[in-house]
Amino acid sequence: MWLGISLTAVALIAGVIIGLNVPLFIPQIYGKYLGIAILAAIDSVFGGVRAGMEERFDNAIFVSGFVSNTLLAAGLVFIGDRLGVELYTAAVVAFGVRLFQNLAAIRRKLIKK
Amino acid sequence: MPTRLYAVALVAFVLGLLITVQARVAGQPPGEILPAARVQELTAELRRLEEASAGLRREAGELEQKIAAAKQGQTQARAALQTEIEKYRIQAGLVPVVGPGVEVMIHNMPAGSLPGTEQYVFAVRDEDLLRVVNELWGAGAEAIAVNGQRLVSTSEIRLAGTFIDVNLQRITPPYTIVAIGDPDVLASALEIEGGVAEMLRAFGASCLIKKKDTVRIPAYEGTMAFQYARPIKEEVRG
Repeated sequence: MWLGISLTAVALIAGVIIGLNVPLFIPQIYGKYLGIAILAAIDSVFGGVRAGMEERFDNAIFVSGFVSNTLLAAGLVFIGDRLGVELYTAAVVAFGVRLFQNLAAIRRKLIKK
Repeated sequence: MPTRLYAVALVAFVLGLLITVQARVAGQPPGEILPAARVQELTAELRRLEEASAGLRREAGELEQKIAAAKQGQTQARAALQTEIEKYRIQAGLVPVVGPGVEVMIHNMPAGSLPGTEQYVFAVRDEDLLRVVNELWGAGAEAIAVNGQRLVSTSEIRLAGTFIDVNLQRITPPYTIVAIGDPDVLASALEIEGGVAEMLRAFGASCLIKKKDTVRIPAYEGTMAFQYARPIKEEVRG
């Protein structure tokens, strides 16, 4: 358990450090897509944490959910832009709601322990 | 379970990477970045301005063509006007002209050529010259000069005392009338039977008609000032 937490934390910090030092630059126009992708990723992570607490964590579901949610969210925003519809808002609302549901589930689990 | 841990760690790594990059992009100073809406707005404006610029450039090209055409037209008009002016100057007799024509020499009969005559029995009068000139005009002469005096629209040939005045200049015998036109036609108009040459000879004056390939006729030397005559304007005519 603690090995998993520490490994995750180390990986997160490593990602942050690399992200800060890599001279990768994304144009502002695509910032919107990246933002919604990050929201989807956070949602997936909280979903994974919740699944882990409920003892029904599946590695394949977690990874595939992370990847597909991220790409789908960015793709949805892209299509919305092309169609002139603000699908961005829809994605933000959907992921936001799921995020809070997952957080609520985690909170209940922690308190009931 | 190591694989499970690795997967979670990988996801955490990617998440950290994404968040940092996004934070860096979003955290840029506002001077360097522009909101997406503003970018679209500016792009649209740029496109509009480019279209406007292309349109204006096209218009400028068309106008330049028009200017060039107008300039060309002006030059042509000026050339046409010059030709017109030259034509009317020739018609008015203000330029010396050269061309084929005839030369008519008229002289009084020499004194004493007939028995019992001391003086001229017959002196060439203004009417005789007028007749000759009239005949020449009638035969299609384009320019006529009498003793170097170009005949213009206001020229007179009249007797003043015992001399003849042309263009207010006194001329003395022998009289030389030069005319430009078809030499054959002019000569035959004078030489016609019962015509002016025959009449002059009958009166005893000599009348010598020479056809020439080139004769020179000087310009009118007086001034043409219209003091009383005014052209009639279109609206006054009715």
